[in-house]
Amino acid sequence: MNDTNFGSIIRRRIIFLAIILFVSVIAFRLFNMQILEQPAYSTKADENSVKPIYQTAPRGVFFDRNYKVLVGNKPSFTLRITPAEYDNKLTPFLEAILGVPEGYINRILKQNEQMSKYIPRKVAKDVNFKVIAWYEENSSKLPGVDYVIETQRDYSFGIMGSHMFGYSKEISSGLLQQRRNEYSMGDEIGSSGIEKTYEDILRGQKGIQYVLVDSHQKTIGKYKNGEVDKTAIKGYDLVLSIDKDAQKVAEEAFKDKRGALVAIEPSTGEVLAFVSAPEFNLQDFATVTSNEIWNKLNSDKDKPMFNRATMSIYSPGSTFKMLSAIAALEEGIIDTNYRVSCGGGFQFGDRFFKCLHVHGSVNVTTAIEKSCNTFFYQLVLKIGLDKWAEYSNRFGFGKKSNIDIPEESPGILPTRKYYDKAFGVDRWPKGILVSLGIGQGELSVTPLQLAQYAALFANYGKSAKPHFLKGYIETSTGKFVEVNPKTFDIYISSKSFDVVRYAMFKVVNGAGTAGNIRLPDIQIAGKTGTAQNPHGDDHAVFIGFAPYENPKIAIAVIVENVGFGSVHAAPIARDVIKAYLQKNNTQQIKKSEYLSTLKGEEGEHFAN
Amino acid sequence: MQINYKLQDKFDLSVFLPALFLAIIGLIAIYSATVNHPIASGNFQKQVYSAIVALIAFFVVYSLPQQVFKMFSVPAYAVSILFLVLVLVAGKTVYGSKSWLNFGPFGFQPSEFAKVALILCLANWLTYKNRDINNIKDIGIALLIGLLPISLIMLEPDTGTTIVFMIITISLIYWSGISLFGLFVVLSPGVVVIASLFGTVVFIISLVLVIVALFLFKRDLFNSVTVFVINLGASFFFDYAFRILKPHQQKRIESFLDPSMDPLGSGYNALQAKLAIGSGGFTGKGFLQGNQTQLRFIPEQWTDFIYCVIGEEFGFIGSILVLIIFLVLFIRLLNISGMAKDRFSVLVIVGILSLMFSHFAINIGMNVGVTPVVGLPLPFLSYGGSSLVVNMIMIGIVLNIYRNRKLHT
Repeated sequence: MNDTNFGSIIRRRIIFLAIILFVSVIAFRLFNMQILEQPAYSTKADENSVKPIYQTAPRGVFFDRNYKVLVGNKPSFTLRITPAEYDNKLTPFLEAILGVPEGYINRILKQNEQMSKYIPRKVAKDVNFKVIAWYEENSSKLPGVDYVIETQRDYSFGIMGSHMFGYSKEISSGLLQQRRNEYSMGDEIGSSGIEKTYEDILRGQKGIQYVLVDSHQKTIGKYKNGEVDKTAIKGYDLVLSIDKDAQKVAEEAFKDKRGALVAIEPSTGEVLAFVSAPEFNLQDFATVTSNEIWNKLNSDKDKPMFNRATMSIYSPGSTFKMLSAIAALEEGIIDTNYRVSCGGGFQFGDRFFKCLHVHGSVNVTTAIEKSCNTFFYQLVLKIGLDKWAEYSNRFGFGKKSNIDIPEESPGILPTRKYYDKAFGVDRWPKGILVSLGIGQGELSVTPLQLAQYAALFANYGKSAKPHFLKGYIETSTGKFVEVNPKTFDIYISSKSFDVVRYAMFKVVNGAGTAGNIRLPDIQIAGKTGTAQNPHGDDHAVFIGFAPYENPKIAIAVIVENVGFGSVHAAPIARDVIKAYLQKNNTQQIKKSEYLSTLKGEEGEHFAN
Repeated sequence: MQINYKLQDKFDLSVFLPALFLAIIGLIAIYSATVNHPIASGNFQKQVYSAIVALIAFFVVYSLPQQVFKMFSVPAYAVSILFLVLVLVAGKTVYGSKSWLNFGPFGFQPSEFAKVALILCLANWLTYKNRDINNIKDIGIALLIGLLPISLIMLEPDTGTTIVFMIITISLIYWSGISLFGLFVVLSPGVVVIASLFGTVVFIISLVLVIVALFLFKRDLFNSVTVFVINLGASFFFDYAFRILKPHQQKRIESFLDPSMDPLGSGYNALQAKLAIGSGGFTGKGFLQGNQTQLRFIPEQWTDFIYCVIGEEFGFIGSILVLIIFLVLFIRLLNISGMAKDRFSVLVIVGILSLMFSHFAINIGMNVGVTPVVGLPLPFLSYGGSSLVVNMIMIGIVLNIYRNRKLHT
């Protein structure tokens, strides 16, 4: 027996020190955690129990140039179920009320089974108000069922505008990855048209309500009594350059037709009317778009979702004759005295290029007025492809205008390089250039480009990038902020423009091809065209501007597969011009004033 | 010779009051953790009843004649072994461990009572006349007395209680005066086993250290080789045992080695407990104001994680206060062990001290994230009737020994 060691002083001290040491370690640890690192632990603990509930902000609405509402907002009711409180026996009843198929509610509840059962599930969006009224009366018998009010787009203001306004969609997972700081799952994001371009100012700021949740995500109460909550801030309202009346007329003219119309204010590039027909109903995209609607729209052979005004490419037909005319005048290749004799066509090599009539001796003015092909077959050969392409480029063809909607095609402007690539150097088929002279062949343009082209004639080569946005209204201040794109000039002499513009005037007001749209009180200048279409009947084309002096509107109209431009496209342009200008009477120039500006014989000609 | 019967001669307040204060703080914390809880809201009331029973048990034990403890040590040990076997056959499984025996509406954990029985029995064996603590046979038997309940509790399986039993056994052998080499023989297998958990490299380093130590002890070759083989055998046995552990236990051990590995599994509680304590700050969030506690981010917080209720709601001040009360209790127990009239009594107090301290160290350690999460209650504070009653009985034993200490002149 070892007496000396039993409970010896040394052993007692070792135990004593062990106890002191351990308690010191814990005390040091507590000091570290609760005093030095307390802020970090607090932040993490709050993240645990404080849950933000986001409220989507209403998107900014769209006004027209006169502050008439084009696109608004309306309440949308979303029905929710909180599984922890919900009684499954209610399901058949609810399904009947909502008019959804049997098993619909169960399927939604199953999909989210892994989430805490205290988190409400959105069961039906855009619920009919009658259902909500019924719910309000019976809510006591419907545990775990509630609804939230969200806003959705309202398109009940008399116009469609489907392609320019565009729509929003639930953000895709790919996009969410890129913009994780701004969006969260289930958020709407502008997906096409103006909704997409101006998404950043339209979407506003989400409201945040902080609530305390327990470890099951069940809401216990408000965080700090709501002091740090943020209310949702509506997005900026947009003032668009669209004129609602002109737009309405344009849309009605295109009922049951396919085609496009773009009207622009020449001096500013502001888009006044914009139609791509057939339209589709944006209201179908305001909440959840059903598969049925998607399939119907996507399988429609008329392709209603396709923005014809900016993406569809057509041959401009005879409307392109002015391009050759202005190039030849500006380059000094011809003047108004230069004449060509039209015998009904033009023999080039072994091919005969037809004209619609036998026009006899024509100068540049009458060639445009009467749309003489023979004159332009020969003229374009004098100009040459390179000069022709250079002028086409100056008028905006073969490139995007950078209008403020994302959907746009640059069209096709054939150049030397283009043909070398297509056929090989010096191996081009003969007559290519001849066809280009009358706007046929490989040249392809969009209706928007044609409208800009018309605007440049209207305003002597000065305009601005075509655009929809005049300005926006800042939500916080109510201040209107104007947006003005820079104007540009394509530097072509007004002398050349005078000649071509006068010819365009005579197309409508002389013995020209669009005499049928002559108006007593508004001088329209324009040019008809018929675009050959390899896939079917020809497209009718018309471009123009009005009033002739100091134009306020330039327009391009294409109606697909209907034939002559004068018959089918020009009257639509006339109606839109009339709708736009008639209420802007003050800006019109009286016929007599106008006449005095003209010279002798031509003035008499008009007097008739 | 006048015997002065003052209260402080018969009753030591510096042991009783800390225990009482801790129990009261425990009740406050349990109230906070359960008052808003859908299932556990009755636990506060149950704990109040347990506290009353525990106080009665304390006074009963305090009043018993001192010989009773030595007399009943062997029967108590035998009965507790019987119960430990019984619990394996007919026990109720709670949180993966078969540790509860139910008698009608009452349930208790035999391992709680086995702790006291082990202390009494081992103290009795180690202080029996002519015992030589450095005799290999005597150490062996002492170890066997400890290993019998240890292996039964391992089978439940209850990791925390197993560790506590090991600490009790080693503490009593240590206090009995085992030589450094003897202690080395007893402890080194454990160290090597723990080292093996940290990977092969650490395991080999530990084996090298064992060889170095054996060399320094300068024992004969036979002894040295035997000890080394014991070490090696223990680690291989443990490796085998680890493989047959339940997955949740393997996970607990693994999550201790790398707490970030499994944030929502076994590491979840440890993480949430740290957040609760850390976010408490200097003064705490206030009674019933702790988000972590009131929003129930820590499962079963009223049992093993009661300390983080105090940490969150009463902050650094509250946490340190609890530490100080424990420290007073432990130091006083150590002092009283020196006053006992016989070696049996000394060892009983040392056993009780080692039991309470190991519970305290492991529980608070896991609350602040310095030891692994093993299911062990914090003495006096955690919810649980058996635990509170047994702890107060042990305080009763200590004060009984104090009452009957060497008579003063």
